[in-house]
Amino acid sequence: MTAAPSARGRPLLYGDPAHLAAHQFLVEEAALLDAADYEGWLGLLTEDIRYLMPVRVTTARGAGFDSLADMGHFDEDMYALRKRVQRLATDHAWTEDPPSRIRHFVTNVRTFGAGEHEWLVESALLMFRSRGDTRAADLVSAGRSDLLREGAGGLRLARREITVDESVLRTQNLAVFL
Amino acid sequence: MLDLPTVLSDVRRGMIPAHVYADPEVFALERDRLFARSWVFLAHESEIPDRGDYVVRRVLADSFIVTRDESGLVRVLFNMCLHRGMQVCRAEMGNASHFRCPYHAWTYRNDGRLAGLPFHGEAYGGDDGFSRAGQSLLPAPSMATHNGLIFISLDPDAPPLPDYLGDFAFYLDFYTRQSPAGVELRGPQRWRVRANWKIGAENFAGDSYHTPHTHASVVDIGLFREPKASKRKEGALYVAGPGAGTTYKLPPGGDFAGQLRYVGYPDAMIGAMAASWSARQRALIAGSGFMVSAATLFPNLSLVHNWPQIDAAGTVAPFISLRQWQPVSEHETEVLSWFAVDAAAPEEFKRDSYKAYLMCFGSSGMFEQDDVENWVSITEMAAGSMARRLNLNSRMGLSSAGEPIRPPMDGAFAGPGVAYQGFGEFNQRHWLRQWADCLERPPAARGRAADMGAAVVPGAAR
Repeated sequence: MTAAPSARGRPLLYGDPAHLAAHQFLVEEAALLDAADYEGWLGLLTEDIRYLMPVRVTTARGAGFDSLADMGHFDEDMYALRKRVQRLATDHAWTEDPPSRIRHFVTNVRTFGAGEHEWLVESALLMFRSRGDTRAADLVSAGRSDLLREGAGGLRLARREITVDESVLRTQNLAVFL
Repeated sequence: MLDLPTVLSDVRRGMIPAHVYADPEVFALERDRLFARSWVFLAHESEIPDRGDYVVRRVLADSFIVTRDESGLVRVLFNMCLHRGMQVCRAEMGNASHFRCPYHAWTYRNDGRLAGLPFHGEAYGGDDGFSRAGQSLLPAPSMATHNGLIFISLDPDAPPLPDYLGDFAFYLDFYTRQSPAGVELRGPQRWRVRANWKIGAENFAGDSYHTPHTHASVVDIGLFREPKASKRKEGALYVAGPGAGTTYKLPPGGDFAGQLRYVGYPDAMIGAMAASWSARQRALIAGSGFMVSAATLFPNLSLVHNWPQIDAAGTVAPFISLRQWQPVSEHETEVLSWFAVDAAAPEEFKRDSYKAYLMCFGSSGMFEQDDVENWVSITEMAAGSMARRLNLNSRMGLSSAGEPIRPPMDGAFAGPGVAYQGFGEFNQRHWLRQWADCLERPPAARGRAADMGAAVVPGAAR
């Protein structure tokens, strides 16, 4: 079959080695996040990473926008992400001690060629987060648009834009990565 | 069954019945006696800069459209169609000259006036059955602005806003009038936390005591140097009008410009601050050596100003956030958190300040993350039976006789109100006394509901 074209052109076929590599990258990344191996996760990012999660808003169909251009939940560079990871590794990051039980479900992966050694990868993410013994668990649903870059050490994440599917988040904070 | 007189008298002696943080009966009183009357923050004028711009905000269950009408005036309109009660605006922001109800197409101008309804002649017999003249979406009973902050009260007889703000207006200027251009707000980030709304409001009002421990991690990683206990206890706590706040002690000997440079402001902004603030406001920074940090304006608007290190080169950048603790129920709160920055600030400063905000506060902020964990846990515990047997001690800073263990600061603190240096729960008690006063008042008389559209002859409708 032929995959449907999108604004990014036609995605690579599922059998394409570049698609398989991109898909495996996202699954391996999710495994690191689920294991709270955040140092390992930082190793998957390029030094010039931009990690962005705009605030979604409810607007009329004709408004022409449904997220805020100048306000995010995250808008991080490597320094900011390192600080977040360092903080979680201290003995005083109370919000994750006891830690949440987190599962990142990654699906609907589509890979697009984006130039030499670069691929745009879209995926759907559902994050399940459970804290304590009886509190209702949180679900965060989002689309992700990633730029993966092939370097000497293999694929690395150079940019991620997270399109969260709620305007009002229903999780107590984002002491987690999506 | 709620024993309100006992709860209020306990609160007034600084002992807080723990169940008030998760009690549906208390929440109903807060709705009917506090939020039905208080001045409540809704939005800032910078969020609706152009004609037709609007945002939709709530006071508990009541939805309001905050619009800038075609003449440039800010209007606050109850978001309910006069005909069948549908929300006439279901988006949270946008630009519109009119709001058309999706149910029967009644249409309102963005100043609230009814512009038209279909088949007026056929359906109502024209103006005899329904008089269109003068019909409008219900305006907020009281509305006023200060430094571009838009407040409403559901009480048509609310005191004038300047009277209400009183001495707290002095402190609001540090956050919202750093230059004549005023502040611009971005956001808000919105998220829901399973915590009672009062806890955040009290915390921002004056809890300098939690900072060294709750926020130890941000000192551990070198993000913000100030919260160490040794520095935090040098700060002054002040109570002024309906507000209260915390400050940090600045390094000794600095002049006005030097102190503002220390927290990361560029010289261009410092000049504007010097011109924008009064001699007394400048003296709080230059002579007294205090810089505002967290504060709360009763009931549920909080402000924060901190100055973290935002890059490996050691750049210190200050940021301002406004946040509202929007009650959803006795055990759930929607947090609305805005990034605020002086509208005339250099673009480079705005970028750095935004980064500082995101790292520290808001939905992903490294300070805020640990705060909310505490507040969710308190709310969970407050819902049980044992919480009804426990009055929490909120008497920090007082002797057993109820006297301050240290005298209030005199000339050493230039701002208005009453200030104490060091740890204490003066500010939280001040917030809780206002809360108790509100809960004690009988509900405001609403009067008879207004009939819309027709002078109706008494008698049954057929």
